Amino acid sequence: MRGGRDVADDGRLDEGTETAALNEVVAAEHAAVWGYGTVGAALPEDARGPAAAAEVAHRDARDRLVAMLESRGADPVPREAGYTLPFPVLSAVDAATLAVVLEEGVSAAWVRLLDQSAEPAVRELAVEELGAAEVRAVGWRTSAGRIPVTDAFPGL
Amino acid sequence: MPPVLAPATAGSTRRAFLAASAGLALLVAGCTAGSPETPAVSTEEADRLAGQVAVQEAVVAAYAAATTADPALALSDLAAQATEQLDRLRAAASSSTASPATSSSAPPAAPAGGDVRTWLREQVATAASAHARACARQTGARAALLGSIAAGLRGHEAALA
Repeated sequence: MRGGRDVADDGRLDEGTETAALNEVVAAEHAAVWGYGTVGAALPEDARGPAAAAEVAHRDARDRLVAMLESRGADPVPREAGYTLPFPVLSAVDAATLAVVLEEGVSAAWVRLLDQSAEPAVRELAVEELGAAEVRAVGWRTSAGRIPVTDAFPGL
Repeated sequence: MPPVLAPATAGSTRRAFLAASAGLALLVAGCTAGSPETPAVSTEEADRLAGQVAVQEAVVAAYAAATTADPALALSDLAAQATEQLDRLRAAASSSTASPATSSSAPPAAPAGGDVRTWLREQVATAASAHARACARQTGARAALLGSIAAGLRGHEAALA
């Protein structure tokens, strides 16, 4: 279905609820791809590897989701022209903190998809990507000096 | 749900995003088989969820065994999170139609004199994979909870690396 958000009136999960949630993940992944540009720019050149790898991972996830949406005749949400940072990113610690925000935001979108999906294959993808996001988040929380570095319930 | 970062042209904020996420957390915490807004839980799904309680009990037991075997590992934060996960799973399982499973298997034993950290990491990885598989076969809030716990344990794996 093209356009609007579709939630079954009786609360049941169907392709409409799943498609809407898939598009929420696409929106989150667009933002993460954009945000990691800022993360990388704020890091010393020799410390940019994890940011670059994360950007690639999010770009790949987004492209996979876009293809999935297009294959079912839905319109993938486009990226925004720009985004507002939640705080100034002026240091390596700021950059790591922003990366945590990006990964936690994407995680919330993946969990929302788990909640709304109708197809087991979609949930398999979601739980795999959710785990990958949390692994990246652990690295960034460590760099940001956050304790604990883990989250019992990523995305919830 | 607003995106991760607010669009530059919109008024939404990260706070709004987190508020939306919190709403999902409440949904998960309050999910019951009898809620009119949620799909009915099949007996098969309820049994599977109860089965994951036993998986998580093994994780909690593994943290306890590892702490006993090597107190220097300083596992208190991770162990506490594993217990939180178990508590949430038990609550979700008890709200389903099946009785929660009771673990009859012996608690795991950390290798005496061996690499306790690596052993613990393997236990956690096994549980994360089991939760992930179960997540794919659940629906709605139960899938969200299991997926989140599976991801949380992936994070534990990373922290233990």
